[in-house]
Amino acid sequence: MAKKAKDDVSRVRRAKHGTVLTVFFSLLSIAYVYPIILVFINSFKKKAYISRKPFAIPTGKMFVGLENYINGIEKTGLIDAFFVSLFITVFSVLVIVVCTSMCAWYISRVHNKMTSTIYYLCLFSMIVPFQMVMFTLSKIANMLHLSNPVGLIIVYLGFGAGLSVFMFCGFCKSIPLEIEEAAMIDGCAPLQTFFQVVLPIMKPTCITVAILQTMWIWNDYLLPYLVIDLKRWKTIPIAVQYLRGGYGSIDMGAMMGVLVLAIIPIIVFYISCQKYIIEGVVAGAVKG
Amino acid sequence: MKKKLLSLVLGTAMVTTLLAGCGSTSTEAPASEAAEVESEAVETPAAESEAAESEVAEAPAAEAGDGAVYYLNFKPEQAEQWEALAEVYTEETGVPVTVVTASSGTYESTLKSEMAKEEAPTLFQVNGPVGLATWKDYCYDLKDSDVYKNLSSDDFALVNEDGSVSGIAYVIETYGIIYNKTLLNDYFETEGAVATSVEEINNFDTFKAVVEDIQAKKDELGILGAFTSAGMDASSDWRFKTHLANMPIYYEYKADGISSTDAIKGTYLDNYKAIWDLYINNATCEPSLLSSKTGEDAASEFALGEAVFYQNGTWAYGDIAAAEEISDEELGMLPIYIGGEGEENQGLCTGSENYWCVNAKADQADIDATLAFINWVVTSDAGRSALANDMGFVTPFTTMADYLPANPLVAAANEDIAAGHTAVTWNFTTMPSEEWKNGVGSALLEYAQGTGEWDAVVTAFVDGWATEAAAAKAE
Amino acid sequence: MEKAIKRYFPIFVLPTMLAFILGFIAPFIMGIYLSFCKFTTVTDAKFIGLENYKKVFTDPTFVHALWYTALFTAVTVVLINVLAFAVAWFLTKGIKGTNIFRTVFFMPNLIGGIILGYIWQLLLNGILMQFNRTLTYSATYGFWGLVILMCWQQVGYMMIIYIAGIQNVPGDLLEAAKIDGANSKQILTKVTLPMVMPSITICTFLTLTNSFKLFDQNLALTNGEPSNMSEMLALNIYSTFYGRAGWEGVGQAKAVIFFILVAAIALTQNYLTRRKEVQQ
Repeated sequence: MAKKAKDDVSRVRRAKHGTVLTVFFSLLSIAYVYPIILVFINSFKKKAYISRKPFAIPTGKMFVGLENYINGIEKTGLIDAFFVSLFITVFSVLVIVVCTSMCAWYISRVHNKMTSTIYYLCLFSMIVPFQMVMFTLSKIANMLHLSNPVGLIIVYLGFGAGLSVFMFCGFCKSIPLEIEEAAMIDGCAPLQTFFQVVLPIMKPTCITVAILQTMWIWNDYLLPYLVIDLKRWKTIPIAVQYLRGGYGSIDMGAMMGVLVLAIIPIIVFYISCQKYIIEGVVAGAVKG
Repeated sequence: MKKKLLSLVLGTAMVTTLLAGCGSTSTEAPASEAAEVESEAVETPAAESEAAESEVAEAPAAEAGDGAVYYLNFKPEQAEQWEALAEVYTEETGVPVTVVTASSGTYESTLKSEMAKEEAPTLFQVNGPVGLATWKDYCYDLKDSDVYKNLSSDDFALVNEDGSVSGIAYVIETYGIIYNKTLLNDYFETEGAVATSVEEINNFDTFKAVVEDIQAKKDELGILGAFTSAGMDASSDWRFKTHLANMPIYYEYKADGISSTDAIKGTYLDNYKAIWDLYINNATCEPSLLSSKTGEDAASEFALGEAVFYQNGTWAYGDIAAAEEISDEELGMLPIYIGGEGEENQGLCTGSENYWCVNAKADQADIDATLAFINWVVTSDAGRSALANDMGFVTPFTTMADYLPANPLVAAANEDIAAGHTAVTWNFTTMPSEEWKNGVGSALLEYAQGTGEWDAVVTAFVDGWATEAAAAKAE
Repeated sequence: MEKAIKRYFPIFVLPTMLAFILGFIAPFIMGIYLSFCKFTTVTDAKFIGLENYKKVFTDPTFVHALWYTALFTAVTVVLINVLAFAVAWFLTKGIKGTNIFRTVFFMPNLIGGIILGYIWQLLLNGILMQFNRTLTYSATYGFWGLVILMCWQQVGYMMIIYIAGIQNVPGDLLEAAKIDGANSKQILTKVTLPMVMPSITICTFLTLTNSFKLFDQNLALTNGEPSNMSEMLALNIYSTFYGRAGWEGVGQAKAVIFFILVAAIALTQNYLTRRKEVQQ
């Protein structure tokens, strides 16, 4: 009896404690999304008022409807940029996942000087900042006619290989050799073994790599800016920055519209894949 | 006066009609037609040629082969117009023309990264002799080009010692202090006004007195300040670190009888300080906010009638007109007085820092296409009309005699010359480097905010000049 | 089996290898070489020895950027980790709405640095305007603006990792501590903290490198204004490279130094972690 009463008390206390925390975190959450809401509100404001009265609600003279959005899309070519970004991200991630997982499996199954060199080079590449290679990389990409979305996929495979190979290698080591050996004895060629046996086992790592690479490539600014032929293609970050740059003065209205439009796909992606994203981040952190 | 007014009204109507996508202009179009009939005697060549455009057959574009044109444009104000013109040309000839506009203040870096790319710009710009030094090897000799033959004088070309031509100016511009005539007249009518007409403002002291008095009466006049914000954001700081800085350089060169130097003395830096103080202390905003004020901020302040004075040039007309708040006849331009000797006769600042260069390292087909394109721009009706009317450029080409922009600021510049004033030359093309300008700009900003001393400006100006000039020589 | 796979080198490794050479190894080696050269394009490089490196250290903007970056990194590493751990600690207590909070806090991570920079520029300039200041008034404002931005972006990410770490602390260990009469503060410092040490290591490493290599946010928020005073290393290298005629070699030399610094941080971190793991 006494024990139950004590339990009740502590439950009540905990519940009270919990309510306070819930309220606190609710407020914090609102504060957390406030910057985005602010941008959203300002996206309907006449541009001359945005930097003067950022906190005002756009009414009357200040309200411009969708003008900022239309302006922003026209000035930056945002729709095209969206598809360019989508193309580059989806295919780069696909190529990276397939190629680097194959590479990682090979180098963790075949042991010789070359494979260990490759492994250490990949490890090494992870600590090299992009600025180190930005000029030479863009130069090489240009000489080899890679200044286009397809070429960019190759560049991403090259520059992003390090982390992915490293993560796949970490996983490959944990796959019991017996499974693969059994498959090979059953007459599977290495390619079949890889795609039918190894790759399915590696699925969690594939997701992790895919998530991490997507987050990087979708948001990357400098690499595509330096490599790609800007007069033909822009990615979303380039389009946003172009607004700041391309026009002598910043059209704050168009900027707000473009920002909102740039955030929407991210939120959609996040809400639909939240589980994978969070798991991927955790798994990536543990291995990275 | 009536005639002038008429032509100005006409000009506005025309520009509004021409600016595609600027909303409904149906009410204005008939007015412009009507005005055209009445104003036959009025000097409006632009309007006439506009009318003639439909009758004259389009000039056939030169054979351009299978090349392509890539123009890296320097002037963000005209970005959209260039893109539109490029489309017209492509439609007409099938030659692809791409226009990319660099951010303000980053033209050199964009040019550098673009030049390194496989499809480099075929048409780019240098700002004058100093800019040319970096890109000399990339400049195709334009001596035999058609566009060079259409140039009215060699003064507008970058001619090398061996007679080859590296660059051709395509726009002549004028800057000064743009003012709102209505507001200024309102001021003249206030009690105890320091001056009663704009003619009286012909030296720094009067100007200063007027500005300070306006600032004191800003509530009475219903404005936020005498000057628009002297924004030091990259989209606006060139107005001060380059254009305003031209004034002390101009007077120093004039006093010393030189046209460029490796070591500036800074004789007139006190005058530079005086005018800068005037700008920052009598403006629409606190000096501490200047670092993030943009060019757009200043333009909208002026366009909404919140300030009387706005230091900028003929190119700013489009932005002012777009706001549709100030009519053309309300616009005037004053010389920038800094207190130099004989400034009563000093005029506006006129010159060019926009020279077309053709990339010599491009494919011959692309070079030919580019040459054909720029010649088309200065000879065809569509091109000339775009240059003069849409972009509002005064150009140094003989072919453009009938195409003068309906830009009241250009008219103000012409009046200024007609009044017998001596135009101030653009000596900022002799500034040793971008780095120098940046140094001066930063020091100006720090001084304005109160986080730095004026001495830092002097150091950046004088010592910075010597250092950068020496560095440029060493290369 | 190894033998059977070995023949498949061209299929398994070659594509990645070629891209890797092209996208990393070749540019890296060329980059090292060019740092000893004077050049505007790769083809006109002239070997000039250590000239560029000498110029690097006489360039006040670089030295300033170095200290600015170091200070920024120190501040953000501490702040982000403390905040992220605190949030994770409370969000593992089973309070109502935990899932929503987690979702919200993590979200800014997915938004790119350029976009984030402009979002915060609007908000911070709006607030500062009330005090007649702007983000680019002085480097101090830019500094704290960047710190706030980085916290906003990174706390959620690190929080996720800490939550995973805290949840991995075995329940019976906590039970045992409770039975032994430990209060919640003791449990935190004596049980949970040591147990999530691996998470702390990872998060420290991630925040350290993220802050040190920060570029996009810096570019969008202040672009180094005023007078390059809020410029961090990565942006300084970029603007030296592309913004100053004749300084390409110096920019490349700066990049090499930058690389050495990043590598040194990574290796030190790695060494410390290893030592700690051995002790456990």
